[in-house]
Amino acid sequence: MKKWLGIISLLFIFLVSVSTPALAQKAPAKKPAAKPLGVEVIKFGGMGIMSGPLSICGRVIMMGAQLAIEEINAKGGILGSKCELKFMDDELKPAVGVKNVRYLVNEWGANFILGVDSSGVAMAIGEIMPEMDRIYISTHASTDRLTEELVWRKGIKHIFRTTVPTYQEAILPAMIFKDFTHIKRWAGINCDYEYGYVSWSLFKETLKKYRPDVEFVASTWAPFWTMDFTPHISAALAANPDAIFSTPWGGEGVQLIRQALIMGAFDKIQLWWHPTGATTDFLEAVTSEVRADKFKGKLWVSGRYIHNWLQTPENKGFVERFVKRWAMYPFHPGQGAYDAVYFVKAALEKTRSLKTSEVIKALEGMELTTPAGHKYMRPEDHQAIYPTPAGRPVHDPAYPIAVVGDFKMVPAKEYFRHPPFEPIKISK
Amino acid sequence: METLAFQGLVGLSLAMYLWLLAAGLTIVFGVLGVLNFAHGSLFMLGAYFAFTFYGLWGVNFWLSIILSLLTVAVVGYLMERLFLRYIYHLDHAYQLLLTFGFILIFDDAVKMVWGGVAKIPAMPSFFEGTVSFWQRPFPIYNLFIIGAGILVALVLWLLFEKTWWGRIVRASASDREMASAIGVNIPILFTGVFVFGAMLGALGGALGTPVRVVAPGIGAAMIIQAFIITVIGGLGNLKGAFVGAIIVGVVSAYGILLFPVFELFLIFVIMAVVLMVKPQGLFGG
Amino acid sequence: MKKNLALLVLIIFLFLLPILVGKYLLYMTIHILLLSLFALGFNLLFGYTGLLSFGQAGFYAVGAYACAKVLLVVPSLLAGIFGGLVVAGVAALVLGILCIRHTRIYFSMLTLSFGMMIFSLAWKWRDMTGGDDGLVGIPRAPLEIPGLLKLNMTPMENYYYVVLIFSLLAIYLFHRLVNSPLGLTLRGIRDSETRAACVGISVVNYRLLSFTIAGVYAGLAGALLPPLENTVTPPVAHWSHSAEPVLATLLGGIYSFSGPIVGAFLFYIIKDIIVRFTEYWLICLGVIVLILVLGFRGGVVSIWERKGGQG
Repeated sequence: MKKWLGIISLLFIFLVSVSTPALAQKAPAKKPAAKPLGVEVIKFGGMGIMSGPLSICGRVIMMGAQLAIEEINAKGGILGSKCELKFMDDELKPAVGVKNVRYLVNEWGANFILGVDSSGVAMAIGEIMPEMDRIYISTHASTDRLTEELVWRKGIKHIFRTTVPTYQEAILPAMIFKDFTHIKRWAGINCDYEYGYVSWSLFKETLKKYRPDVEFVASTWAPFWTMDFTPHISAALAANPDAIFSTPWGGEGVQLIRQALIMGAFDKIQLWWHPTGATTDFLEAVTSEVRADKFKGKLWVSGRYIHNWLQTPENKGFVERFVKRWAMYPFHPGQGAYDAVYFVKAALEKTRSLKTSEVIKALEGMELTTPAGHKYMRPEDHQAIYPTPAGRPVHDPAYPIAVVGDFKMVPAKEYFRHPPFEPIKISK
Repeated sequence: METLAFQGLVGLSLAMYLWLLAAGLTIVFGVLGVLNFAHGSLFMLGAYFAFTFYGLWGVNFWLSIILSLLTVAVVGYLMERLFLRYIYHLDHAYQLLLTFGFILIFDDAVKMVWGGVAKIPAMPSFFEGTVSFWQRPFPIYNLFIIGAGILVALVLWLLFEKTWWGRIVRASASDREMASAIGVNIPILFTGVFVFGAMLGALGGALGTPVRVVAPGIGAAMIIQAFIITVIGGLGNLKGAFVGAIIVGVVSAYGILLFPVFELFLIFVIMAVVLMVKPQGLFGG
Repeated sequence: MKKNLALLVLIIFLFLLPILVGKYLLYMTIHILLLSLFALGFNLLFGYTGLLSFGQAGFYAVGAYACAKVLLVVPSLLAGIFGGLVVAGVAALVLGILCIRHTRIYFSMLTLSFGMMIFSLAWKWRDMTGGDDGLVGIPRAPLEIPGLLKLNMTPMENYYYVVLIFSLLAIYLFHRLVNSPLGLTLRGIRDSETRAACVGISVVNYRLLSFTIAGVYAGLAGALLPPLENTVTPPVAHWSHSAEPVLATLLGGIYSFSGPIVGAFLFYIIKDIIVRFTEYWLICLGVIVLILVLGFRGGVVSIWERKGGQG
């Protein structure tokens, strides 16, 4: 029947036209590429969330990676091979993330995978990296399980991470606030998924070790796409806490703090720990409030990279170039992606080969001076070790938006977890 | 005890917000017989336009709300005239499908125009501050939302029960052919009601700008809640939508306080139970 | 005759696929086959019985999670697949009894709410479903018939053949089903409920049967997923996933047998291609939906039929 013939020919044409690039890639090159690495272009496949209230985080990953690649290409590439980035939306869905990775590696020819905001997506793509025979560098996804479980316990050596995981949200505040003896009652407003569970559980576990007198009086859980946090805030405040611990991030974090402000939370409590508050979008959203000192010095924030903390030439140059390129101040997923590219560059310059096993060996134990400071890629779990402080949002006339100030530093060694990594018990 | 009462008040402000979302949806269904899947997107557009006028261009807050309503009215007009009216005669399924297509289009359209990043304007100063209820501070802004929701409910009740236009709309809703026979211009009425419903949706979105971010996809995230409310109350029934919104808002608030594990689940269970016990909804008939 | 020849060519082509295309396209084809089964079942409800369900992803999820749970205990592929589709079928039967007395909008809303309830369960019941992390480390268990054969499934090509054979069997079964008296009865109910009742047909029972079969097909599609991906996560139950067979069927053609299959292929290809070049794939899909609903409600298949004469 003509209908069937038509359908078959459509199918045939489509598959041939789409598979030809794949077949062409399978065919050996006519003459060997003159570059030491054996390819003309080194391909970086990137992923992040590109839409919705959290999308700034995915977009900034792309910005950081793209900046690094442009800088490297301007200086001649990596051992003469140019770099290229293809960035895709993972929609916060593990299945989409996996599909994108398969496309990027098998169809597009990615040599490296980087990025991802969602811990769930990172865990899913981490699992298939051995099959893909590619290295994945996480630049945001912060579940400790990515490194502690997949790399250390399961031995999936293909995963690395350039940004600090939930140690930043959970252990750093415990180290700092254990000395705030007037803070005894903590309430949590947390994300109703892995990231929130782990952060809250780890925080409670760590703080209790130093301060057995501390009580955790309330805990509420907000899923993705929560637009109105007022019931959560009122539930937390109803327990009369001294301090609140919150993990909602990106645009959701902005809404949370805004709504908390109008609810008079900052009059009722002594302290609010909002660990994702050093991100540019958050600081921008609270600029006028900070200027008017609405938070009364009670809001504490942190980030895996804070652009105005280190006054090193590396950092200042990076911030300047980033602002010039993207008209935005960098924050950690972007800076982490920037570092990921440079880590790869350093590794490739050492191995002079794209062979995955060799690049893995080169990355293990690698030390790099980055805008975020000195990063050491720990060989045990492929986690980059470096410090970032906590602080409070302040008004600094040198910047058009609020920035973090009043820094409180804790050495990285003290708040990063170390092998043998006792599993964290999730408690709500 | 005060905690429960206060949480109920919080739930009420949540509910009023949802009522603003659901009102337009239920009116459009009642009169046109169309369940507009894209109603949440009109809500989202209302938020985006209000953000643009107030947050980006510095227009007076109240004027921004009005301008946002007018802009979405235009969008609604185009949607109805150019697309919707050609499928009234078709099965409900096609109306759901067409309006679903609009969700996809609007989500990307706002991304193209405003970028994919979440945005929020500065807080208007007259919304700052709290009022004390049971020795707990309750935001003036949330009181305002409660007031706005009740005001809209009153206005709608007056409009539909007491005015000439309202009578015609109700007549057309209950018997289209008859209304047409006595001289009501059905096509114009339909366009008018759809635009009216769109403006109501946009109002809900616009009023949220001080404390909620605008981002692509927030409309689709809200539409399910709007469906649940209208179904619980009875499709096409305004009183039902009002009560349904209160049920959903208050239950959500209490769920977060008392049953955090089940909160996500509760609302769907309520809808399913209502549908099975009284399929036309609480006030439907 | 020509039709059968064309079909044979297509089937041979599908069997030769692993030799012809790269790994990613093979992976994509498996997904297209899964979506075809999913959409086929959906269309039994929609095209043949006139009921629009927005909750089919719930049964897909039940099939997927059930299969995963089985495989994590009994590493036998067949046990997982059949386990998944049976549990999904039972779930469809139970939920169907609750849904089926309602019609039109209310039916759609009920299915939507049940689908989302399953999603909430999957997200929240960490101990059972792994919560938002889902179930991981699901083995691509060997295809084992005790005493007869044991085939290793680690290479994706092997698993592709399993999926292909299951799909062809399921499609054949579906073909027999809709061309049987059952199919005619369903269409009769779709066209006129009162007339069917007058003839003595139990409308409710037939609708329930249709709903259950749709659930089984959704469950089969879902059960074929975990061995492929080695993980199952809650978004498989979300209403946005329920929208996929709806869109695929609309694209391909609601009132034709092959519509859902053609539509599944086109839907997947379109999204995959668009996403490579732009992040704005939603608007492309949305415009296509608009065009189809306004002008081509019979879908792509109807366009072919118009050009090529009666199908």
